[in-house]
Amino acid sequence: MDIQALLDSLDWRYLLVSSAKVFVLYHVVIVLGAVMTLAERKVSAWMQYRIGPNRVGPWGVLQPLADGVKFIFKEEVLPDGANPILFRLAPAIAAIPAMMTLAVIPFSGEITEAKEFLGGRTTYLSIADIDIGVLYLLAIGGLSVYGIILGGWVSNSKFSLMGGLRASAQMISYELTLILSILAVVAMAGSLNLREIVSAQHEAGMWFIATQPLAFLLFLVAIFAETNRHPFDFAECESELVGGFHTEYSSMKFALFFLGEYTAMIVMSCLGTALFLGGHHIPFVDNVHWAIGFLAFMAKTSIFLFLFLWVRWTLPRFRFDQLMRLGWKVMLPLALANLIFTGALISLK
Amino acid sequence: MVIVRRKTLSLSEKLYIPEIVRGLSVTFRKMFEKKITRQYPEEPLPKNEVTRGQPRLVVKDDGNIACVSCGMCEAACPAYAITIDGGETDREIEREPKRFDIDMLRCILCGFCEEACPKDAIYMSDELELADYDRKSLVYDMEKLKRPASALRKRMDYVNQINDRWRTSSSI
Repeated sequence: MDIQALLDSLDWRYLLVSSAKVFVLYHVVIVLGAVMTLAERKVSAWMQYRIGPNRVGPWGVLQPLADGVKFIFKEEVLPDGANPILFRLAPAIAAIPAMMTLAVIPFSGEITEAKEFLGGRTTYLSIADIDIGVLYLLAIGGLSVYGIILGGWVSNSKFSLMGGLRASAQMISYELTLILSILAVVAMAGSLNLREIVSAQHEAGMWFIATQPLAFLLFLVAIFAETNRHPFDFAECESELVGGFHTEYSSMKFALFFLGEYTAMIVMSCLGTALFLGGHHIPFVDNVHWAIGFLAFMAKTSIFLFLFLWVRWTLPRFRFDQLMRLGWKVMLPLALANLIFTGALISLK
Repeated sequence: MVIVRRKTLSLSEKLYIPEIVRGLSVTFRKMFEKKITRQYPEEPLPKNEVTRGQPRLVVKDDGNIACVSCGMCEAACPAYAITIDGGETDREIEREPKRFDIDMLRCILCGFCEEACPKDAIYMSDELELADYDRKSLVYDMEKLKRPASALRKRMDYVNQINDRWRTSSSI
């Protein structure tokens, strides 16, 4: 396609709608990330008979804002012997892939109101409706490990290096299980497009959590390991590694690491909703308005997000050899067997 | 020698999942139980006459303090928190402190000054909060230490009652 044809295909109305979608969806997720920091503290407090933050604003709702202001005013510390350029680059490398993966999440169905405005073009409530959505998400999501290992390495600290190394080993090990468990769903739906996977569940009248329970379980464990959350938080390991890869980080650079972690959590929760919980569809209801579908999507996502917090305050951290054994000797064979079994069933049908 | 035998796990325990679900159910139930947090400034700690807070000087009904600057409390203080400069007065007691400072940052709230005082001039109040922006203002002078007798009445009665218990057996 030459440049002129590309420019002709661009319509200012389409650009406007797309920009609006990007603006709104990114802000929804950033705010959700901020809310998650508060929710994390609230839920952990409740599970320990405490009340949690309640001083900043009613019910503590402005606490994330106060934390953000504090992060901005904190001193930036550059450790002795650290590479100044890579040290500043690492948090961005950790955070950006998580935000990029957000683009393919199908938050809701078609925005019917925009069809007339766009001159008959259909647009969905997702930033990019691309045919290789799952592949894109996994490929870009896998990049965030670079930020973590880079942050651990350039800090010139043994604790950070250990954390970075553990994180990379863990994320690579569990990425296999994650991909294989998703592949089973992709095989069932017959598409790599997340929107089509969602509609395949609605058409079948059954969510993939019911038809692929083992894949769901493996996916669930794998996203905990992928996002470095308890009980697989070997990258951080507060008790052993003094914070792991972000030991030496302070101020907004530290906050950026956390923004990346929380965004990755949200994206993985959204992915789980789309793959296994029927996305924006509501059971037994057809033709739901896209705004209501968005709310349904968010409600399902929040189940995953709550599970992240819930598990954190229930399970202790694994030992590193246990983590590796679980990943390679239990989860990977199970995921492979599940994929082969699913494939056999589909081809026999 | 103690031999700790490894517990043989049942199948459901080996599978992890049922045990994890059991653990999750425990933490979920705990979320709704009664909170034990005390909202401190709004919900102060319970105080009574046994509470041993910061020492204060009792202002008698005639508006004076009973202190004769004998230095007993100064000598008893294990933290060297008390500084007294004595001087003469026209009142009947002839001596009174010109300066009576307690460094609240040094005070360990032990109550030895209260016990040492022969004139019942110093008592432990129930005041516990101690916060300021500089150290100098936390060295309390006489004006800051004075409290009306009514505010310390409960503690005075309590301490005297305890002291009386000893007096009846020895001094009479």
